[in-house]
Amino acid sequence: MTAVTLIHGLNLAAIYGLMAIGISILWSSVGMINMAHGATFAASGYAAWQVSLIAQPLINTWFGTGLDASLVMGATMVASGLVAGALFGGLIFMLAYLPIHEKANFAVRSLIVTLAINLATVQLLLFFFGPRQRALPKIFGFGRTEILGISVRNDQIGTIVATAILMLVVVIWLKRSRKGLEITAMMQNPEGAVLSGISVRWTALPVTMLTGALAGLAAILLSQTVFVSPTAGALPLIKGLTIALLGGLGSLPGAIMGAILIGFLEAIVGSISFLGQRYVLFSQFLFIITVLIIRPRGLGGLLDETRESRNV
Amino acid sequence: MVHEILKIEGLSAGYGPLRVLHEIDFSVNEGERIGLVGLNGHGKSTLMRSVMSLVGWQNGSIKIKGQEIGGARSTGAGRRTHAIVQMGVALTPQGDAIFPGMTVAQHLDCGAYSKIAWRERAKRRDAVMDIFPPLRKLETALVGTLSGGERRMVSVGRALMTEASLYLIDEPSLGLAPKISRSVLDALFSLPREGKAMVIAEQNVALLAGKVDRMVGMHAGRLRGDVGHVALS
Repeated sequence: MTAVTLIHGLNLAAIYGLMAIGISILWSSVGMINMAHGATFAASGYAAWQVSLIAQPLINTWFGTGLDASLVMGATMVASGLVAGALFGGLIFMLAYLPIHEKANFAVRSLIVTLAINLATVQLLLFFFGPRQRALPKIFGFGRTEILGISVRNDQIGTIVATAILMLVVVIWLKRSRKGLEITAMMQNPEGAVLSGISVRWTALPVTMLTGALAGLAAILLSQTVFVSPTAGALPLIKGLTIALLGGLGSLPGAIMGAILIGFLEAIVGSISFLGQRYVLFSQFLFIITVLIIRPRGLGGLLDETRESRNV
Repeated sequence: MVHEILKIEGLSAGYGPLRVLHEIDFSVNEGERIGLVGLNGHGKSTLMRSVMSLVGWQNGSIKIKGQEIGGARSTGAGRRTHAIVQMGVALTPQGDAIFPGMTVAQHLDCGAYSKIAWRERAKRRDAVMDIFPPLRKLETALVGTLSGGERRMVSVGRALMTEASLYLIDEPSLGLAPKISRSVLDALFSLPREGKAMVIAEQNVALLAGKVDRMVGMHAGRLRGDVGHVALS
């Protein structure tokens, strides 16, 4: 495996991991498969693009065009992606959780509602912005950096580092803070959580906002290599869902491990000359199906203690 | 003067078309320790869970320190449970409802979730570990890896961490070796009584004999009146 493939694999793993962790956390704590995660992705991309249009001239007048300006622009982009994702997550909470979460078959109903949100959002984005692809400002610059004798694109390094830092923050926050403990408790045993005085309804809001923010960040980071478009969320959604499933829905280490495996598989298959990009999805699904046949629970439980069976 | 912590009047509850509890009247006073005895499937757990608003449907008055929390409920099970916990009722459910991926310390902290309790969680954790000494050296162990007895201690410990005046302990001896269930119960009986009350549901009457103020029998969803503790002890 060449160094380029390695970096490419890590880069993909970072972006897919952000999506998969969001889907996984949301499923285990709220009991909802969020098909609108792709819509969150696309909407955050457009929000950041809008912000960049407004912010670019302001930043240029205040900070010039040097390194300062691009750093401020980068921070603005990341912040607007996170905020837009969190807001969209809040919207999903209002539409797909609050009205139906106590009805029978909530899992299936919410799946349908979020799928509808996803389709409607794509259509709305098409209606307002048209099918043209938009480019976000390059927040990590265009250059390449030499690391340990390997020449690496700046945006790949930026993506890997930014994701690693953010995931570390999220994992520590989930383990240490009161709010994080509340979400972890909901993930592992909803009945135990309510008996500790945790409200089911009002834990779902921070969860949807957190997972939305992760999707928003993924959108900003992936938009450094591809363009923002109304349907940009489809592929990240599919990959996020399958990785979450591969990781054993509800397991954070499982999702991270799954993202790394799928990211590297994609990078390796893409770099083999007689296979190439067109076999990427094929090989990924083949891999996931094989894993799930051998181990139906996915990777979860191999790496951590996941929840016991859901009966509340 | 005797304060009533819990007063239940005309409580019926069940799941779907099934009626488990029939017009129950029951009350618990401050400082009291009550054994709720009866066979499996006769409604002990349903009575405790309906106080926490966790059953399928319920009807009838439930008052915590004079405040009404009962009545017919139109929302789903568990929507109001957190508010009832914050009013000072802690339930250790049958089968523990533990968080398998948390360490013992984190698990106990969950019990101190209310804002006031959260600030002094370290002190409370220490107090719980005095009651259940085996937990002290397991502080960083994952709860999912513990033995049945240790899990029960963690589960009861989480309830003890809350700012509660009424503890409902559902079958603390379930599935445990006799010696271990005895030690769990002894730990419960060693708790101070002032301002608090405890109801322990148990099938094994011998475990409670002589240790509780009164025993209430339960049969087919109805209370059988007080069982005199003198005769049992």
